Amino acid sequence: MAIKTFAAIDVGSFELTMKIYEFKGKDKARVIDTMVTRLALGADTYTTGKISNEKVEELCRILSDFRRVMDSYQVSAYKAYGTSAIRETENCAILLDKIEQRTGIHVDLLSNSEQRFLDYKSIASTGDMFRRVIEENTAILDIGGGSIQISLFEKDTLVSTQNLRLGVLRIQERLKPFRADLSQMEGLIDEMVSAQLGTYRKLYLQDRTVKNIIIVDDYIAPWAVRRASAGGVEAVLDRAQFTQLQQILHSHSEYQTAVSMDIPEEKVPLLLISVVLTRRIAEMMGAEKIWAPGTTLSDGIAYEYMEKQNLLSRKHDFEKDIIACAVNISKRYMGSRSRAETLRTIAGTIFDSTKKIHGMGAREHLFLDIAAILHDCGKYISLTNLGDRSFDIVMNTEIIGLSHLEREIVAYVVKFNHSPFEYYATGGKYRNLDRESYLIVAKLTAILRMANALDRSHKKKMVEVKAKLQENELILTADTADNVLLEQAYFEEVADFFQEVFSVRPVLRLRKTL
Amino acid sequence: MKKADRTEKGKTKTNKTTGTAAEKIDFTNPAYYTNRELSWVEFDSRVLGEAADVTNPLFERLKFLSIVSSNLDEFVMVRMGSLSDMIHAGVTKTDIAGMTPKQQLSAVSEEVHRLVAEQYRILNTELLPALEQERLHLVGPAEKLSDADQKFCHEYFESNVYPVLTPMAVDSSRPFPLIRNRSLNIGALVSKKDGHAELEFATVQVPDVLPRIVELPTRERGQRRVILLETLVRQHMDQLFLNYDIVCASPYRITRNGDMTIDEDETEDLLKEIEKQIKMRQRGEAIRLEVDATMDKRLLKFLKKELDIHEAEIYRIDGPLDLTVCMKIYALEGYERLKQAKYTPQMVPELPDGCDIFAQIRKGDILMHHPYQSFQPVVDFIRQAAQDPDVLAIKQTLYRVSGNSPIIAALAIAAENGKQVTVLVELKARFDEEHNIVWARMLEKAGCHVIYGLMGLKTHSKITLVVRREEDGIRRYVHLGTGNYNDSTAKLYTDLGLLTCSEAIGEDATAVFNMLSGYSEPKLWNRLILAPLWMKERFLYLIRREQQYALEGHKAEIKAKMNSLCDQDIIAALYEASAAGVQIDLVVRGICCLQVGIPGVSENIRVRSIVGTFLEHSRIFYFRNDENPEVFCGSADWMTRNLDRRVEIIFPIEDEKLKAEVMHVLELELEDNRKASELQPCGREYVKVRRGRKAVLSQDIFCREAIAKAKAAAKPLPQESRTFTPQTSSGR
Repeated sequence: MAIKTFAAIDVGSFELTMKIYEFKGKDKARVIDTMVTRLALGADTYTTGKISNEKVEELCRILSDFRRVMDSYQVSAYKAYGTSAIRETENCAILLDKIEQRTGIHVDLLSNSEQRFLDYKSIASTGDMFRRVIEENTAILDIGGGSIQISLFEKDTLVSTQNLRLGVLRIQERLKPFRADLSQMEGLIDEMVSAQLGTYRKLYLQDRTVKNIIIVDDYIAPWAVRRASAGGVEAVLDRAQFTQLQQILHSHSEYQTAVSMDIPEEKVPLLLISVVLTRRIAEMMGAEKIWAPGTTLSDGIAYEYMEKQNLLSRKHDFEKDIIACAVNISKRYMGSRSRAETLRTIAGTIFDSTKKIHGMGAREHLFLDIAAILHDCGKYISLTNLGDRSFDIVMNTEIIGLSHLEREIVAYVVKFNHSPFEYYATGGKYRNLDRESYLIVAKLTAILRMANALDRSHKKKMVEVKAKLQENELILTADTADNVLLEQAYFEEVADFFQEVFSVRPVLRLRKTL
Repeated sequence: MKKADRTEKGKTKTNKTTGTAAEKIDFTNPAYYTNRELSWVEFDSRVLGEAADVTNPLFERLKFLSIVSSNLDEFVMVRMGSLSDMIHAGVTKTDIAGMTPKQQLSAVSEEVHRLVAEQYRILNTELLPALEQERLHLVGPAEKLSDADQKFCHEYFESNVYPVLTPMAVDSSRPFPLIRNRSLNIGALVSKKDGHAELEFATVQVPDVLPRIVELPTRERGQRRVILLETLVRQHMDQLFLNYDIVCASPYRITRNGDMTIDEDETEDLLKEIEKQIKMRQRGEAIRLEVDATMDKRLLKFLKKELDIHEAEIYRIDGPLDLTVCMKIYALEGYERLKQAKYTPQMVPELPDGCDIFAQIRKGDILMHHPYQSFQPVVDFIRQAAQDPDVLAIKQTLYRVSGNSPIIAALAIAAENGKQVTVLVELKARFDEEHNIVWARMLEKAGCHVIYGLMGLKTHSKITLVVRREEDGIRRYVHLGTGNYNDSTAKLYTDLGLLTCSEAIGEDATAVFNMLSGYSEPKLWNRLILAPLWMKERFLYLIRREQQYALEGHKAEIKAKMNSLCDQDIIAALYEASAAGVQIDLVVRGICCLQVGIPGVSENIRVRSIVGTFLEHSRIFYFRNDENPEVFCGSADWMTRNLDRRVEIIFPIEDEKLKAEVMHVLELELEDNRKASELQPCGREYVKVRRGRKAVLSQDIFCREAIAKAKAAAKPLPQESRTFTPQTSSGR
């Protein structure tokens, strides 16, 4: 197999990273170069909403350097992602264009959930160790500058993921007016985070205990990895070792800590915040061990590339995680699990049987599954305005693994399952959707509506629903022992829209059973 | 975990006192340290000792005399210049040995005067008479020449010298001219022939474009006579100032403060700033005036006033000024019997001529010991990389390179062949700045990515990285050395070099260049130890680990070889380790601020210095580490400037066979009893080692060993035979 060289570039809020990977075949990835350069883009974006000209110049210079290094390895492909500092800057589009013109590097944006998902993938890329750890109840604690993400695993399945605005840079900014020294900071951070963590516990943790925490951050993890690499072991800290880290921070000045831990002095307060957050969360969860895999977003980018290039022999089932997350969101909003399953099954059948005419793939199938699971979440707020409220909930709830655009597609599908469909040309209601995404919304809405109609009474009256394309018709067959007058009526109602979208008339054929 | 691993790694400051056992000892006590400048003069004295050593061939003695002069020039310009700057700036801070800049300058000046006096004593009473015996005569300035000689000199002057002379006179309308740094001049007091008694100063530079020595024709077979150019010019002064009478004329030479101060923060273009500073070096404050001992008092007074020079800065020389001229005598043909037999660096057995260097490196790490072994494989390494279609990139640091460097040429070819070539040319390499600017520009023109060093740091590390795409992926080939990429000095300096394709070192080398290129912040190092951020800590840790072993009753040992030792933290740690019972053996060629034999402090430390035919230049560090010895080589000395203000690399020798080879180098130098001098207790004085019945001259032994190895490697393999030889009980 030909050797491929791939560059993963992370344009982060605090630093820019590029890792060059070499793929020699399935599962054979090797990092051959790593570049990390500090550039606090976030400091500009978060305070002024824009990245200053000086920083843009510097950003282009660094990326040009990266380009030069990429060229020196003759990389066959690359992927560059910008995270919150780029995403949230007002002149984002202009900036991205400028970068591409000046450096030849095309930078894509990552939403928070996509970023966390890639972080998650980077951990999964560690393979066996990851699989071993998540066999027990585990939490991934992903500490960023603006927020933290806590993802919970139960028996190797992701059950929830939640973003909390408790990022280290954000906390540091909030602490600035207090002018507290290191010893005072710990108490202040504790107080600052306890309310949000308390809510989190009530909502997600409840009585669950979590044995392991997998930590992803720029502070504790590098130290733990360095410390462990000397002994050639994994960076796993037990309580005693974590306490030892805390003691270093307590007994040393910032300078001494920087020297003894071999980190820049300005990172010491951020390290302290990271340590306090981790300790508080570990205590809350009752965690016994903290594992720092030492992976970065770049590793996640490379993992994603390997997935796409079919370079992995054994993959973690991330779709299962995304579905599990959606199920948990539905649960939180009192959604009906069994109804959701019925809809998923019927919608899935229709989707699969109409592949020839809709041209959609596995990713869109996933959107349909999520839309089916979350179809009724708005009921939690309003029974009368179900479509809009469901839309709001989906739009305001992070679903790990989905980009912002993908989440919006799902939200519209859920909305139009209940509300009248709005056409693209009728007044710019689709805020961020391009024509292609709008068509996906229309197709998935048509399918979900059809599935919804076939179980209108929520009583699973139709079983063994099958679908088959036959000339200009989609023949849907089902067994039923009940009166399905309501379903038939709704079926006719949604059939017109289905025909409008696919140019195929749905026909329902029922077999009466006893 | 090993017991000694408990020693705190992250300690930043040296413990000033020991633990309970020696509560009262302050290891930073200035009384335990030697001033670095005085120690340097002591080193130059040892070099001078070689000029006095009658066991050395006569012409080699002349060479050492020349080296002393050249060393002194640099010392005066840089070190005494720097002290002078500090005094002007009102600095009163004391050094490691508790001396203020003023005290240092005064003491150093006294020592340098003593050294120069000794230098000329050796010249006048030993070397010139010895040359006479060999029928080589240096014509003195006061010597009466025969008519024939005068005629020859006159003709030579007229046709060769006169056209390039620029005589200058000083009067009220013509100010005192700029006298170039380290140029040789003839100063004169002249008076107009029209009867005006007023004396005027006139000066002419002895042209450095002409040979300093001129051979006079002679009829006597075997007899040779040379006259110095300045003598010739002096004899013809009247022809330069035609309307004047020459009242007196005498050679003089000034040395200017050459300490370059560049404010890099304020400098936008380092290259241009350095070019500017080089020009300014010619105008720096005069800090030494060398004059002929017979110089007219009036002439001297004038010079003293014009140059604003103090009495202590005047050196009255009993002989030719600037004894680097001895190298010109050394270069005279026909005296090979009076010189050390010329040694030809030997082939490196693992790298025979024309071999595929990359394939050879893949077989295992290769150690090279220069100049005993040839430097050519290093040049070939770059050359092959430049031509190899599989090579993607070449990255190298350059500190001092030779004129017409084949390495530079190979790098340029590599760039032309489409390789990514990144070269860090250290523009701040003292006295090579001008040279390096030329190289830098040439490399840039060839398409290399040239980095002019790092802000505030000198890049002194010696590392080359070749990135090659091979069947099984990217492979990195690395050369690490203790000496510069200079094919000329590699014939004279003893250095070690390692060629490796170790994955761990390759990753580190990549990170080094990412750091130097400003692409990336330094990361965790696999094997290499880098200054300025990590090296001192690591050395302190390694020293303290030995100390810990000693305290636990294990045998603890440190052996190291370097050019200079003057970092206080390191020395204090060595003292503390010695006090704990660690046996410390050091080979320090030059400056050594450490003192041995101080009761309770450094009784377990032995320091020796080797001054031989080749300049000892390699840096080797050995730590016993209980039974798991660790051996490192690299570019750094244990000097504060190396550890705190330079980019330096120390690399481990991990292959057991190579480790033994490096230890052999170190051990043999510690056994040398011919060219080694040993530092005497509680001071800075060295005494030649004469222990042992068997003479051990390490440099000679290394030469013989290299020859034997090369011969063994060149020996053809026994011819394949179809006849088998059975082994029998009789041993046949």
